[in-house]
Amino acid sequence: MTQIATKHPNHPAPDSTGLSEDQWQARLDRIAKDPRMSEDNTTLSRDDAKKFAIPLLGIGVLGLLVTAISAFSVDLRHALGAFEVGVFTALAISIGSLFWVMVFHSLNASWAITLRRQFENIASLVWVPVAMMMVVVGIELSQGGVLLQWIGYTGEEYNHLLKVKSPYLNANFFVIRVLVYAIIWVGIARVLLSWSCKNDETGDRMLGRKARFLSGAGIPLFALSTAFASFDFLMSLDYRFFSTMWGVYYFASCALASASAVAIVATILRRAGKLDGLVTQEHFHDLGKLVFAFVVFWAYVAFSQYFLIWYANIPEETAWYTNRQQHGWQWLFVVMTMGHFGIPFLLLIWRKTKRRTMLLCGMSVYMMIMVILDMVWIIRPMVYMNTPKADPGLAMIWLDIAGIVGVLGIFAGLVALRISKSPLLPLKDPMLHESLKHKNYV
Amino acid sequence: MDMKKLIDDAKTFGADYFPMFLRKPAPKFVTESGNPVFGIVAEFDETPKVFKAAKKVRDAGYSKWDVHTPFPIHDMEEAMGIKTTKLPLMAGGAAVTGLCIAILLQWGTTDWLYPTVVQGKPFEAWQPFVPVMFELAVLFTAFMCIFGMLALNGLPRFHHPLFSHERFYRVGNDRFFIAIEATDPNFDPEKTKKLLEDIGGTDITLIEDVN
Repeated sequence: MTQIATKHPNHPAPDSTGLSEDQWQARLDRIAKDPRMSEDNTTLSRDDAKKFAIPLLGIGVLGLLVTAISAFSVDLRHALGAFEVGVFTALAISIGSLFWVMVFHSLNASWAITLRRQFENIASLVWVPVAMMMVVVGIELSQGGVLLQWIGYTGEEYNHLLKVKSPYLNANFFVIRVLVYAIIWVGIARVLLSWSCKNDETGDRMLGRKARFLSGAGIPLFALSTAFASFDFLMSLDYRFFSTMWGVYYFASCALASASAVAIVATILRRAGKLDGLVTQEHFHDLGKLVFAFVVFWAYVAFSQYFLIWYANIPEETAWYTNRQQHGWQWLFVVMTMGHFGIPFLLLIWRKTKRRTMLLCGMSVYMMIMVILDMVWIIRPMVYMNTPKADPGLAMIWLDIAGIVGVLGIFAGLVALRISKSPLLPLKDPMLHESLKHKNYV
Repeated sequence: MDMKKLIDDAKTFGADYFPMFLRKPAPKFVTESGNPVFGIVAEFDETPKVFKAAKKVRDAGYSKWDVHTPFPIHDMEEAMGIKTTKLPLMAGGAAVTGLCIAILLQWGTTDWLYPTVVQGKPFEAWQPFVPVMFELAVLFTAFMCIFGMLALNGLPRFHHPLFSHERFYRVGNDRFFIAIEATDPNFDPEKTKKLLEDIGGTDITLIEDVN
């Protein structure tokens, strides 16, 4: 007699909860009855979002107009440099958020679930900095190399380094690489957001499992694409320079900027009376720990890179630092050591700074400014390098501010609009009940 | 700061480790056989019961007491009214000490006492000092975390008076205990026993401190 194995109706589903369908439905009902999950508390209306979005978009468009006009009338290199500072800050915020979403999925992090939708929202807007990156690529290619001088190298005049590096640093391969980065970032971010939003309606637990699988594959892709994008756009501003730490250096800014950005977004939502009891002091505490961790991580990476280059004293490497320690940019070195590491380290190490929402929000705004200054430190001194013009320094700061504010204003405005499109947290996530009672015991 | 109390505390602490040199202060309470009283212990059989009881002991104003359970109970530190530890501040002090020692050792030797040229780098270069500054700060912090933790919680110890209580061994299995020590200023043999009875403790026993 043969026995046929049939699935028991109460057989637990192979997702992270290990619950049968009945138990899962009971849990969903229990969460839906929770007074904190009321519609008013978990959604942001379109009109409220527009109150934030319209001024931000207005400032953004104004800033970009000023940058575009001065690109024609004042200086193309300077305008493009200012624009790139904004683009790479916005890119750091959005792909950093993508990184956190994938980390939360792959580690099954339950504490972050009430915050995860904000990370997903920001990550799904990665198309904004990517589109602006395409504009940068277009300008560079049509002008035959503006800031990226290697694009204009044709091989007529002998340049050993450019010749040796030309299999990687050439226009065709550059365009292919940028397209690959765009597909990876935009693709993963859109898919993860759409699965998360679909889960809000259907409550299908397998979507979380799928997202975990995609995140596992996505993290190595993210690591490679971020590192190579930072090589292509930032490291090759000086084609002589090379640093194996460069990708990690930019990644540190990504993780830091996105954790700070979500701390700011969550604080604004809490001040607007949303997510009451859903995002609590405990979630802010953990977000603060992430910000603190990446302040230290950034300093560790930045110093490792600087220290080895300083010690080895090889001309093509040290030139990167010597160029930045003269021509009126010396003060940024002090800002980077003390402002980006020293002061926030001493402030964020206190438990109270991380647990008080407004203090953490203030620190996050400060860290965002530091990330922007880090991008200025990377890009801005290269603008007048190897050109006949003398660097005007802070005399032309209005153009730098216009470029940065233009990009970040548009990005922030679109984030505000995006937040109102879906519920403020994944309503039917399998582990949501754990995030609701999350508490730090240390 | 009460200096006498501090010295007494230090003596009590040290007497566990060096009984040949240090004597504990004279006990406030002794049993009929002349042994000092360690405290009174009460037994509980369920987690919620011991949790509620701990809150009541806290509200009665006791400070030298402890709850013993087979597993960690969340929020117990709040129910017992335990304040945040001073260990982070101590660790911070150790970090600053390590940093200063690293600066003195490196700058003092290679720049001040015996100026040395290393690889043609300038004397006043701060860059090579940073890794050692970082490492020494971390090392001192780690040592302070370990030894400060041991100093604050009184571990390791070779014996505890509660081990003379036969029933206490079930704390590793299925029983919860609240022990109020005789060194507590609020301790009173009758009143404390009454309190433990009121909050639902069973098998209330007076424990002797026999070395």
